[in-house]
Amino acid sequence: MIEQIQSVLTNWDAMLPVLPQLVVSGIAIGMLYALIALSMTILYRATTVVNFGHGDLVMLGAYALFILMPMVTFNIAVESSALGLLASFVPPFLVALILSLFVLFAMGYIIHRVFIWPILKGPHLSLALMAIAIGYAVRGVIRKEYGKEVLQMPRPFPEQEFEVFNWGGIGTYMTLDEMIFCGVVIVMLLVSYIVFSKTRFGQIVQAMFQTQRGSSLVGINVMHYNNLIWGVGCSLGALGGVMLGLALALDPDVGVWTLLRGFAAMTLGGFGSLYGAVIGGLIIGILEKVLGVFISTAFIEITCYLVIILVLLIRPKGLFGQHATLRI
Amino acid sequence: MKLNRSIFWIFPLLVLALPLVLNQYLQYVVNLILVYILVGVGFNIVVGNLGQLAFSNVAFFGIGAYASGILTTQLGMPWWLTVIPAGLCGALAGCAASIPALRGVRLFYLAIMTLAFGELMRWLYIRTPGLTGGSMGLTVPEPAVFGWMLTTEYHKFYVFLFIVVVVVIATSRLLESRIGRAFLAIKNDENAAAAMGIPTGQYFLLAFALSGFVVGIGGSMYAALVGHLSPEDFDLIQVILHFAIIMVGGLGSLIGSILGSILITATPEVIRHFEWLVGSEEWIFGVSIIVVILFLPRGLSSLLAKVNSIFKDRYYRN
Repeated sequence: MIEQIQSVLTNWDAMLPVLPQLVVSGIAIGMLYALIALSMTILYRATTVVNFGHGDLVMLGAYALFILMPMVTFNIAVESSALGLLASFVPPFLVALILSLFVLFAMGYIIHRVFIWPILKGPHLSLALMAIAIGYAVRGVIRKEYGKEVLQMPRPFPEQEFEVFNWGGIGTYMTLDEMIFCGVVIVMLLVSYIVFSKTRFGQIVQAMFQTQRGSSLVGINVMHYNNLIWGVGCSLGALGGVMLGLALALDPDVGVWTLLRGFAAMTLGGFGSLYGAVIGGLIIGILEKVLGVFISTAFIEITCYLVIILVLLIRPKGLFGQHATLRI
Repeated sequence: MKLNRSIFWIFPLLVLALPLVLNQYLQYVVNLILVYILVGVGFNIVVGNLGQLAFSNVAFFGIGAYASGILTTQLGMPWWLTVIPAGLCGALAGCAASIPALRGVRLFYLAIMTLAFGELMRWLYIRTPGLTGGSMGLTVPEPAVFGWMLTTEYHKFYVFLFIVVVVVIATSRLLESRIGRAFLAIKNDENAAAAMGIPTGQYFLLAFALSGFVVGIGGSMYAALVGHLSPEDFDLIQVILHFAIIMVGGLGSLIGSILGSILITATPEVIRHFEWLVGSEEWIFGVSIIVVILFLPRGLSSLLAKVNSIFKDRYYRN
């Protein structure tokens, strides 16, 4: 590895113009991690439960869109009434996307109400295991039904590439997908910031994060709001899953991969911090790309593991978080 | 009905006769159950008895298996000599995994960190092809004990049974002693345990090392049983399998670990007989964990304990 660093230093002039491209594609993939970390943070903030099955629910979001897409296209083609005419202006992908977000909202709502709420007072161990088991069951069902062949996500828009800027003859490119992902994540971050800090709903969620018992004493229906937050977190995760499906491919095993990247972003940004999750995701995305090219391709895989281990050992509260450890 | 605990000797003695009635394949499944008994027993020490949420078990399992495999292929040692070193490698990994716990990382932070540790180890198996054979896997030669080759599953069975009985009895004695009670005290209230003068840090280290040792021996047996190790054997699906074993059996219960490993290892073999269930292991395990957590939080061993008090876990002698 030392020789590789030396070779990078000697070839610095040749390597430097590649850097903007790496940073741009790092930001693009980092935005995906950020969205997934954001959805996990929202779950954690409201219910103080870390959802270990979140990666599989993210995966389910992508599959839900894949399953709904043919149905939506078929229905719009058959319908000839005024509603059908109206619907023909809306791209079927968008309809399927919104439907799949609703499906995942319902999933999150039901999962919390049926499986998590009855054991919420119990030990953390069974909570974590319950989340893992739910994710595992979801993955098992998806793999049994769709795991045999490689599936391609339906594309809403053609693949296009734009030159963002040019530095000494070496251009920096960004695909249309990446631009749209970045836009969606920024909008989602702004919306969740406004919802969580400016509205009454956000105040209630903040109260529940501080103390669930106290908030139920002042008349907040904790169970109802927890259900809602799980629904919102899952549908936000599904949005991330759809993007992931577009960027990579549909794969039942993507859950663990997603979960660890989301955790790394959350850990780096600090548990429970919304903008921390986004900044953490961006940093990890950029680190993966830059270290992967400049030092060793191995870093593309292991950056997130190393980040988790180093951050929790050196600065467990992350960049913007609260205390995460206890003294013994 | 008051029974003496020595009645438990009936089970290994009865099992001794199994090779008479089983064919090679079923014997292989029984051997796999023996491997997973050690995995469950070791995992239960950290999760059930110490009450910590650690996912590093699969890393111990892999390290034990690869240690045994590398020692036999690279150094040409006979398999029986590598069992204890494999356990020691597992224990060393256990010490490494306990560092975050000693730094005060708890709950899901510890879980995330040990999860990352396990994945990092799997990456290491792939990226060091000189030692581990990389993603192609490592072929382990036939296990030898005192110069005899264990050529059939029946031979392996008797050796494995001996190891499992020794390790399980030793673990049970340890958990009934001062050490086991210290683990329970830490599980129930860490601060109170420290206030009573229990050096919690030392017991954390001990529990992780012990768990790594037992699981490492299990890994070494796995290497001898399967004969070919590949990194995919030690991915996160394996973690769920381990969790299913201890959850279905019963957290913090030695009998539970044994019961759970029998059920969970035998389930895929039962599923194989039903056409429409093929490929359903994953969701069946997931659903069974959910059902156990919701309706039977102490696992199947709590049902057994109702039948006779002899199946209760005993942490003191009378």
